[in-house]
Amino acid sequence: MSQYPTINNVQVGDELPVMRKSASEAELFLYSAASFNPHRIHYDRSYAEYEGHEDIVVHGPLQGSWLTQFVTDWAGPQARLVSVEWQNRASAFVGEELEFFGVVSSIDETNGSVEIEIEERKKDGSLLMPARATVRLGGS
Amino acid sequence: MSTSLIPPESLARVGEILSEPVTVLIDQREAQRYAYAVGDLNPIYFDEGSAQAAGYHSITVPPLFITHALVRPKPADELRLDGLYEDTAAVSLEVSRMMFGGEEWDFLGPVHVGDEITGTTRLADLDQKEGKKGPFVRLVRETTFTNQDEQIVARSRQVGIAR
Repeated sequence: MSQYPTINNVQVGDELPVMRKSASEAELFLYSAASFNPHRIHYDRSYAEYEGHEDIVVHGPLQGSWLTQFVTDWAGPQARLVSVEWQNRASAFVGEELEFFGVVSSIDETNGSVEIEIEERKKDGSLLMPARATVRLGGS
Repeated sequence: MSTSLIPPESLARVGEILSEPVTVLIDQREAQRYAYAVGDLNPIYFDEGSAQAAGYHSITVPPLFITHALVRPKPADELRLDGLYEDTAAVSLEVSRMMFGGEEWDFLGPVHVGDEITGTTRLADLDQKEGKKGPFVRLVRETTFTNQDEQIVARSRQVGIAR
C-alpha cells in the first residue's frame, strides 16, 4: 500500500533515489539566520577568500540536515531516524551542485531497522561527506 | 612521537561540563523557519494531522534543529572579526586552527513543538593523533538533550579537529 520501504520488502544493496542540492547566497543567508550563526565565511565572499576559501562556504550542519532529509524522504513519515553520523572531508561552496548517494548496507529484522551507507559528492565526483544512518522503517 | 599539543590541565577536563545546561521551549515558528532554510518541507513539521498520522503527538521538528534551538543569543558588539562570538567554552590547546570534523547523533525519543529541551555539553574526548599533514588534536563535545519529562531525546557528538 505505502510507497515507502518496509522491513519486509527492503534488501541489502537497495539504492536511495539520488538527492541533488545546491544553495544560493540567499539560501545560505537564510540558514545563517535560522541557526543564529554569524560566521562571516557563510555570507561575505571577500572575507571567505581572505581566510583561504575559494568562495562563500556552505555550512557543515546545513549539509547534516540535508543528510537527515535524504534518509527521511526515502523512509517516509512512519519511519524513525535512529542515528546518523558524518565526516566533513572538504568544503562545499555557494552555488555548487551537490549529490547524495545512499545504499542499504545491512538489515536488522529484530529491530525493524536498516543501516545506510551515504556519500555526499560534488559534480566532479570528489567526496565531501561520507556518512551513515540507521533508520527504523514504518509498518507494511 | 611529537610533543604534546594538549596541555595537562586541558586533558584533566575530559568528562567535565563545558557550559551550564540551557533549557529552551521548542518554538513552532523557529523550527519551521529552520525547515524552510534547509529545504525540508516534510508535512510532519508543518501539519498537526500529518504528524499525528505518522505517530507523533503533535508537530515535530527537523532532527538537528534542537542544537540550533539551544543557541544563546548574545549582543552583536561581542562578535569577533570572523563573525563568531568568543568561545567561552574553549579548551586550551597548543594549536588554534579548529575545523569541523563531523558529527554523530543518536535519536532516542521524539521532540514536539512545545517541549522544553535541556542541553548539557561535556568534553567527551580529547586526544592527539598523527595525520599525513602532521599531528592534530581530536576534540569531541557531547551534548545530551533531555525533555521536560527527563527523558533523553537525543545525544550528539561534535568532532573538532585542531592543528
